[in-house]
Amino acid sequence: MAAHSRVFLPFRFAILKTPQILGVHTRFIPPQAENCIRISYNHGDRATLNGEEWTPPLYREHQPTSLFQKALLTVGSAAVAITNPHRHDMIAVLGETTGYYALIRIRDQMKADPVGQQILSERPRINTRTIDLEELRALPEGTFGKEYVNWLDRNDVTPDSRAPVKFVDDEELAYVIQRYREIHDLFHTLLGMPTNMLGECTVKMFEAVHTGLPMCAMGAVFGPIRLSSKQRWKLRNYYFPWAVRAGYSAKCLMNVYLERRFHEPLEELKADLNIPSPPHIPKSTDNNNSRLYRR
Amino acid sequence: MTYKTRNMAALRCVSVRLGRVCRCSNRIIASRRNLSEQKSSDENDKEEGTEKSTHFGFESINESEKTGKVHEVFSNVASKYDVMNDAMSLGVHRLWKDRFMQVLDPLPGTRLLDVAGGTGDIAFRFINWIKEKELQQKKASPGAEFRLNPLETDDSESAPEFPSAEDYLYSEQREDTTGTDDRKDSKVIICDINQSMLEVGKERAKKLGLEDVFSSPDVVWVTGNAEELPFPDNSVDAYTIAFGIRNVTHIEKVLCEAYRVLTPGGRFLCLEFSQVSNPLLSSVYDLYSFQVIPVLGELIASDWKSYQYLVESIRNFPNQEEFAEVIREAGFRMVSYENLTSGVAAIHSGFKI
Repeated sequence: MAAHSRVFLPFRFAILKTPQILGVHTRFIPPQAENCIRISYNHGDRATLNGEEWTPPLYREHQPTSLFQKALLTVGSAAVAITNPHRHDMIAVLGETTGYYALIRIRDQMKADPVGQQILSERPRINTRTIDLEELRALPEGTFGKEYVNWLDRNDVTPDSRAPVKFVDDEELAYVIQRYREIHDLFHTLLGMPTNMLGECTVKMFEAVHTGLPMCAMGAVFGPIRLSSKQRWKLRNYYFPWAVRAGYSAKCLMNVYLERRFHEPLEELKADLNIPSPPHIPKSTDNNNSRLYRR
Repeated sequence: MTYKTRNMAALRCVSVRLGRVCRCSNRIIASRRNLSEQKSSDENDKEEGTEKSTHFGFESINESEKTGKVHEVFSNVASKYDVMNDAMSLGVHRLWKDRFMQVLDPLPGTRLLDVAGGTGDIAFRFINWIKEKELQQKKASPGAEFRLNPLETDDSESAPEFPSAEDYLYSEQREDTTGTDDRKDSKVIICDINQSMLEVGKERAKKLGLEDVFSSPDVVWVTGNAEELPFPDNSVDAYTIAFGIRNVTHIEKVLCEAYRVLTPGGRFLCLEFSQVSNPLLSSVYDLYSFQVIPVLGELIASDWKSYQYLVESIRNFPNQEEFAEVIREAGFRMVSYENLTSGVAAIHSGFKI
């Protein structure tokens, strides 16, 4: 550090130590889970800023943040996400900064279920390295895996485009939200929704009810701002009620080892998981609906 | 600072013996490993041998890696660089750069080398300044107020200059233009180690319409390392580096290169973040730097790490007095500095006399 700072160091300590809330704090202590991947860092290399505690990263890509930074990230990412919905990483950041309590609830649900416990201990990931897409393409039509690959091709997406978790200060919760992010595409397949704004709003409403993540609720509430009035009419009358029903009735999908059920027929899987089919919107004449749109 | 202490002392000893020669002409800097005594408990002496470590923000890395890492940082931030500058400094960086150009106060006919000037902020200000100065000169030329068009001068500059036969015949003789300084064209060379930054700069130049062939200051874009400039000795009148010297691996090398390429009487000017001495302001500034800037980086450029590196590298840079000392060690005279925004940034100036 520069020479002059030693003169002022006592003063800086006084100013910066008292508001603990603004400093980088070590409140979140990683649980002693057996299978968590710990990366050891040489603490001696890293200088401390003004004597504050420097929290070591708990997992790769972890970025320790203070409460103030999390607040700023929440507000900023929400603003950027609504003005530019193509910034998926902003929606991800919003989920990470606001989802602490919801993630604890999901993790407890997973721990209470044998399959959930298995997922937590094995920590499976979904990306092109762990899922063989060619094998899925070879499955017969109507199976979950085949429908998934068809959906990926139709919407021109890849399972590799999920941003890594950065701002969750607990290593197990970081895995939980990573798992949620990776099975989001599978939710799309199960619900039969495309990746346009309408489909995303519907899936967000389903997830808001199903997982309780605040980011999903915010997405479902503010996402429709970017839709036309006709699409909003469809959402309010058909898609949202169905998504809410599906969200409540479905078995906890975080506790389902979805990758091992690719060979099952989709309809049977949906029946097993209590997910109703998407609503059918009647193609009535324009005269009937035009009055309703302008309500 | 560790990088300076032993090296400069040894350098001074040798150069005093060699007399008042440019201290940078002997490449003793290159063999700094030989000069430095073995540190007692040097954990850097691992299997890599005696490779010194340097700082990359608050991280410690090997020197050979720093250039690559800095290059990576700037490739990532290039497209959003200007937006981020405005967001982080709330637009104040424009005032700093305007003041920088005021301090330089170049006259028409100056050849400027702008190092680490990727996106061209300083270069564009230089071009506008020269154009403004030339306009003022034309207005102020004798008899201006009596002409119908005050901007017209006596010599026939209104028509575009096509090369005449004499130009071809005597072009070799014109290499040495020391006697005809007023006919020398202003020129700005923008040098940056990162090609993406230069590309962004070229796009901006096109948008601002500064790429016309007949405009007075010549603009050249060059890729190069500030520690080993691809220019001959004594070839530029002014050397500027704005917010770039903090990112280099060896500051003394950059200063020596600056000394080498400047003509005698040339000016070295450096705009860089520096230390805020006022403790109250300094606390606010630290809080802002560490809490807000990386967040802005994540929101606007999707890049937390690069902006964390930025604020850490500012803290690791020497303060105003120390940096002025380093500039003096490199051979510059009349070294002075001016604080901007109470020391958030500082303009250091030195002359090759």
